[in-house]
Amino acid sequence: MGKKIKALFKALYTVLLDTMRVRSIQFTITLSFIFIAVTIMLIVSLVLYNKFSKTAEENAFLNTQQIIEQMQFNLENYIKGMSDTFQVVDAKVAKAHGIPSDRLMEQLNTIAMTREDIVSIDLFTADGQLVTGINNPEMRNNTRLTDQSWFKSALENPNHLTFSLPHIQNLFKEPYKWVVSMSKGVTIQRNGQWVDAVLLVDVNFKTLDDVFRTVSLGKKGYVYIIDESAGNIVYHPQQQLIYIGLKYENVEQALKFSYGKYMDVAEGETRLNVVKTVSNIGWKIIGVSYLDEIVTTRKEISTFMIWLLVIVLFFILLISALMSARITQPIKRLKKSMEMVEKGHFDTYIHVRGADEVEQLSRRFNLMVSRVRELMDQSIHEQEVKRKNELEVLQSQINPHFLYNTLNSVVRMVGSGKNEEVVTTITSLSKFFRISLSKGKNIITVQEEIEHIRNYLIIQKMRYKDKFDYEIEVEEEALPYKTLKLIVQPIVENALYHGIEYMADEGLIQISVKIVHERILFEIRDNGVGMSEETLKTIVNGQGKSAKGSGVGLRNVIERIKLYFGSSYGVTVESELEEGTTVKIWIPKMLEEEV
Amino acid sequence: MNLQLGRIVLVTLVAAVSLSSCTRQSEEQMPTEQKKHLEVVLRSQDGDYWKTVKMGAEVAAKEFDVTLDFRAPGDEADVKGQIALVEQSISIRPDAIVLAANDYHDLSDVVNQAARANIPVITIDSAVDSKWIRSFIGANNYEAGQLAGKQLVKLIGVSGDIAIVSFKQGERNAEQREQGLLEEITKYPDIKVLDKVYSLTDRDLAGELTRQMIQQYPQLDGIIALNEISSIGVADEIEKLGLQGKVKIITFDSTSDELQLLQEGVIQSTIVQNPFSIGYLGVKNAVDALKGRKIPDRVDTGFRAIDLDNMFWSDNQKLLFPFVK
Repeated sequence: MGKKIKALFKALYTVLLDTMRVRSIQFTITLSFIFIAVTIMLIVSLVLYNKFSKTAEENAFLNTQQIIEQMQFNLENYIKGMSDTFQVVDAKVAKAHGIPSDRLMEQLNTIAMTREDIVSIDLFTADGQLVTGINNPEMRNNTRLTDQSWFKSALENPNHLTFSLPHIQNLFKEPYKWVVSMSKGVTIQRNGQWVDAVLLVDVNFKTLDDVFRTVSLGKKGYVYIIDESAGNIVYHPQQQLIYIGLKYENVEQALKFSYGKYMDVAEGETRLNVVKTVSNIGWKIIGVSYLDEIVTTRKEISTFMIWLLVIVLFFILLISALMSARITQPIKRLKKSMEMVEKGHFDTYIHVRGADEVEQLSRRFNLMVSRVRELMDQSIHEQEVKRKNELEVLQSQINPHFLYNTLNSVVRMVGSGKNEEVVTTITSLSKFFRISLSKGKNIITVQEEIEHIRNYLIIQKMRYKDKFDYEIEVEEEALPYKTLKLIVQPIVENALYHGIEYMADEGLIQISVKIVHERILFEIRDNGVGMSEETLKTIVNGQGKSAKGSGVGLRNVIERIKLYFGSSYGVTVESELEEGTTVKIWIPKMLEEEV
Repeated sequence: MNLQLGRIVLVTLVAAVSLSSCTRQSEEQMPTEQKKHLEVVLRSQDGDYWKTVKMGAEVAAKEFDVTLDFRAPGDEADVKGQIALVEQSISIRPDAIVLAANDYHDLSDVVNQAARANIPVITIDSAVDSKWIRSFIGANNYEAGQLAGKQLVKLIGVSGDIAIVSFKQGERNAEQREQGLLEEITKYPDIKVLDKVYSLTDRDLAGELTRQMIQQYPQLDGIIALNEISSIGVADEIEKLGLQGKVKIITFDSTSDELQLLQEGVIQSTIVQNPFSIGYLGVKNAVDALKGRKIPDRVDTGFRAIDLDNMFWSDNQKLLFPFVK
């Protein structure tokens, strides 16, 4: 059984944890709201409830106490009155000579008339003979008065006033009455002798009974009185039922207190009992109030609070649902749009309105998407350019125009019988093409590039003989570094066909390779006709194309360098009409090939 | 559209909250369930006994929060009058009727009438011949008669001559007491019943009959008076004749006259019931029946033998002198 309970708890705990891990905003907001609201409401209601019920209980106690105190006060006054009367009677009897006497009778009758509730005043001998009494009553038979408690305790406690419990007076031939007896053992002068006697004053219990009956504490509450010596009931509104045995009153607890309060339970109902002792007579007054009468309002309050809690909860649920919906809906829409973008619909544009943050998010998202689009387009464009350039390079590697011209030259040379020149030309051509191809690699050493251009120039020199001259100057340190292939040759070609071809004098092409800082500089200088600024621009932008050239051109070189090495490297062109053109090629100083 | 919906919801909720707080208050102001009303028909308007029954009924009414109306004919012999009163009770359609019947047979029709009208009937003190009675609350008069017989034997010994003064021929309680008494004294064959008379509700008649009986049977040792009225008449006569103590008197109930005669020694013993209990339990069981609880067919309220020795014991005092006058 215990194991099952443990397992159940564990399961609940796990469920709780899992639920808390759910991070949906809606759920979190709703849960937090509910939690806060419920906690606050519970705390507030508990505090109020406690405060209220405490106050109510205190008030009830105070109320009951006041009523009981009032009753105690009244009772004490009454009893004082009774015992004062007795004292007067006692004094009269003590002073009297020769009892019975008319004078005493007169006095006693006067005293009896002062109070309506005096039933009888009598004097008895120690063996129960009536000596005298007001109204000269006729005694009944079989009274057994010497056995009665008032008589016995008067003899046992002489010179001390004894109060009896309420009882039926059966002494005289008058209707039976409930009385409280005051009795005292006295000594009287009789026939010249002092004898022991018992003085009895009976007071009608009805007066007290009427007073007790009128007290009520709430609808069901009541007051009862017990005698403190044995807990005998003096008065109880349900006295008959207690005697029959249909009801039970727990007087033992009341006996423990001389004053104070305690709770008890009778027939399933909780009651507040307030106890007060009446002095002199030894009676206790107990006020009983039923707690559920006090507490009905408590129940009402708690019912109301529960209803309020339920309604507020419902309210909170709704509000939080609405609120979180307003927050999460735009986010959800944002999410959906992002999903679209993920799938590849880059033209998605989000029209999202909502909380500031969400709007900003969507705007940023839009920007980002368009940026991605741009980058993608750019990439595609670059790829195309690269492809085109490479195609061009590929084509230039074959260089058909140059080959065609050179072979023509060779044919002429063969026809002229210039065999040595043929060998030089063909050898150079072979070397030229070998490096052009470079087994398909794009990166070659500087040395190889210079070798390439050297061979080119050898061939061109053969063709154009005195048209131009060339110089190649290479720093030895630069030789082993890597470079893109076929970057010098197109420039030199341009220099030849655009610069030098139209010159009257002998042209000069100077090629140098230097290491400048951390970069390699290829400089190709010619003293040709130069270009105007406009032409320069056109050349650089690649919009011009020489009919005689290989077609690769300056633009191709620039673009390849930029593509390969980045935009911090490239080509600069300076040109002055009639003076010449200088082309500078900058590449990084690299020993290792980079992809 | 969202805003409108929100507004509607807000208004509804505010209304709901204020409504709920209102209903709390209005519930308070609405009258609670109507109190149940019981009609109590007793045997007589006179007599301490019925006054005590009434007191018990009223205590129960206060405790169980019901209203009562009391009706009774002039005296216990008035059967027709009581029938008319019961019919009156039925006509106002009470929630229940508590009846102390003046006649066992004659009241059955009107009791059945009440039952047909769906009014539950509880009988107290005196039974009615009807199968529609929900419960009978009262003393077992047969056993009370037996106890009277025992007291008689205590007083006169195992042999003697006695007379019985009864109430009315056919009166159920008296008949049952008589049966119990006779059954008890059959154990003592030397006790003889010399005479039986009926004094009805006439005290003087009781006295007259007693005188006749004494004249006829001067050796009478004891007289059993089966109810209160007859006992006073008998006792007064015995006292007049100066025969108190010689002719023992045993009777029933505890009116103050009887008690005085008991203290004086004219009546030797009386068998008392518990009228307060009868009234209280009558109303209590009626209320329980209305609440749908099961109630016993018979509630025995008991009886006690009272004599000079024990009449002033404190709990007997409460029983014998229920009123503070």
